[in-house]
Amino acid sequence: MKMEATSPMAAAQARDAAENGPARPVLEIRHAMKRFATPEGQEVVALDDVSISVAPNEFLTLLGPSGCGKTTLLRVVSGFEDLDAGDIFIDRQDIAGRPAYRRPVNTVFQTYALFPHLSVARNVAYSLEIAKVEQAETRRRVSEMLELVGLAGFGERRINQLSGGQQQRVALARALVARPKILLLDEPLSALDKSLRGKMQQELKALQHELGISFVFVTHDQEEALTMSDRVAVLGQGKLQQIGPPHELYRTPSNVFVARFVGESNLFAATVSEVGPAHCHFRLADGQEVRLPRRDGQTFSAGDKVQLLARPEDARPSPPDNGTGLRFSGPVREVFFVGTHYKLVIGTSEADEPLKASLPAGEDLGAGPAPGQMIELWFPASRLHPLAGEVGS
Amino acid sequence: MIGRGTAKGRRAAALVGLLGAPTLFLGIFFLGPLAIMFTYSWLEPGLYGGVVWNFYHLNYGRIFGWANTRYEQFDPAYLQIFARSVWLALCTVGLSLAICYPAAFWISRQPERRKNFFIFLITLPFFVSLIVRLFAWVLLLRPTGFINQALMALGIIDQPLEMIFTGFAVVVGMVYIFIPFMFLPLYASVEKLDMAMVEASFDLGAGRWQTFRRVILPMTLPGIVGGSIIVFIPSLGNFIVPSLLGGAKVLMIGNLIEQQFLSARNWPFGAALSMVVMATILVSLLLYVRQMTREERVTATPLNRQEA
Repeated sequence: MKMEATSPMAAAQARDAAENGPARPVLEIRHAMKRFATPEGQEVVALDDVSISVAPNEFLTLLGPSGCGKTTLLRVVSGFEDLDAGDIFIDRQDIAGRPAYRRPVNTVFQTYALFPHLSVARNVAYSLEIAKVEQAETRRRVSEMLELVGLAGFGERRINQLSGGQQQRVALARALVARPKILLLDEPLSALDKSLRGKMQQELKALQHELGISFVFVTHDQEEALTMSDRVAVLGQGKLQQIGPPHELYRTPSNVFVARFVGESNLFAATVSEVGPAHCHFRLADGQEVRLPRRDGQTFSAGDKVQLLARPEDARPSPPDNGTGLRFSGPVREVFFVGTHYKLVIGTSEADEPLKASLPAGEDLGAGPAPGQMIELWFPASRLHPLAGEVGS
Repeated sequence: MIGRGTAKGRRAAALVGLLGAPTLFLGIFFLGPLAIMFTYSWLEPGLYGGVVWNFYHLNYGRIFGWANTRYEQFDPAYLQIFARSVWLALCTVGLSLAICYPAAFWISRQPERRKNFFIFLITLPFFVSLIVRLFAWVLLLRPTGFINQALMALGIIDQPLEMIFTGFAVVVGMVYIFIPFMFLPLYASVEKLDMAMVEASFDLGAGRWQTFRRVILPMTLPGIVGGSIIVFIPSLGNFIVPSLLGGAKVLMIGNLIEQQFLSARNWPFGAALSMVVMATILVSLLLYVRQMTREERVTATPLNRQEA
């Protein structure tokens, strides 16, 4: 049943790809600018020269703290806000100025915004009724959609008889039944409890895979973003900070903002001491020095202030005999046992902030380090990533 | 067991304490007079006012058509007056709805402090005596009144318009009085309308008209119906407005009842007219409530909060 529903779409997409090349973006946002005036008369820049494109069948997440412009960007695409400057193309058509009801996108709202006066089935059928789709066809597609989201037989229920998770599914079915080019999701999982959220994350991902529709997903939950997305766009202060696959964001963030927002991080202030053809040398305030291979696009020169990023799980309890890296020691301040790992917070004289380390809870650690105990940690050079700029920036 | 008994007793005491006073009040001052009116409507009118304690159905016969004796004649004028009252009340409902509905939307989209200010403005006329306000309308509408003089001065008309003592004047007066009654229930349901619903409708392809018809109207319907009922009932039985602005020409059922009690001194007939008005309102309310509960029952199915 499910395969039948999706195969024509997949076929059409394959044809599309064959005719127009594989990377033709389904959504393209170019140099988007948007300002808001606050009630106090101040101006807030919600979007500052943001350019993003979304490929067919891609799961793109817009990630950022609240007020970073991610919801504004979504509302610009759905047609509820206009850009001050910049262009939006859907399927290479300029849709700026087109009202929301004439755009081939549908939205799953944060509050679901289901119509309480209509039954579940009529909620899902809403867009088809508006488009005057034939009744038999409407009925078929509605029950197909309800089955797809796991709500077969719920059609005659009222919205207020459903749980939060079920309402979420109805919202999803309602947005997908019209077969939009792009599905926009505005923090749709934020109202669900944790276990249900995890389940819905997997289901959403599977659904997107099955339907072949591009999803643009807004969230402030970095774990959710990493779990679900093909690519993640990190927004901060209205600017696009970085866009790329989750592992890239995590391992090689392009700046301190991304490094701090995605995952937990240790940042060590360092100075570029020597720039070689293939390597750079970095010196920490405490005199330690590491040599890291130069990456594409890195333009450090001697004397630059940088930050070296190390993730907590990169910490090793003891250094091997050979190999370079950074060594720190200090008293354990706090210990958290999280099953597979011990999470440690360690005070050091070198770093301004306490060190975060995550050590596998293997046999050698036993009951784990005790608070107050002195501990030595080592971060291998291969796991270090240099970032330009100060911590505060 | 004992604990439950005392809890029950305490609940009963609380019920008596809380509802005793209003029950007593309504029993004495509402049900009592109502019973008297109902009884009188089936009694013979006394020659010089008052009643004669004989069962007598011709009070209703005069209204509905079976009275045909030397003293009591059927007169279609009563039913005509009743029909006119219904018509004027409906006009009042329609006009005040047309005024209040857009206003409610506009005010509900204002910042919090301005909202409260505007609601205060809507209720402001309550603070002035009803009679004073209606006499202001007499001054505005009469042939030598402000509106006619202004229009004549501007050269738009050369004869004063006949505005006062018409159905129009009565409707204007009643709309003016009942606007707060329409506005407040309307506003309550309009303000509850989540703008995300409207956006969702746009998002799903519905234009402005479709969104209004399929989402905004059904979701604000409780307010529309509530406001309409609250305006319709006092409009139907109103007698102050038609007596001041309608004069002798535009008689409403309220005036007729007033006349029966105060001038004609035919209490049983006045009581019968009152009963007809009340029966009409009660029956239509009953039908409405029945309709609403039936709709609820059709869509209600057992709750199931399990995750599918």
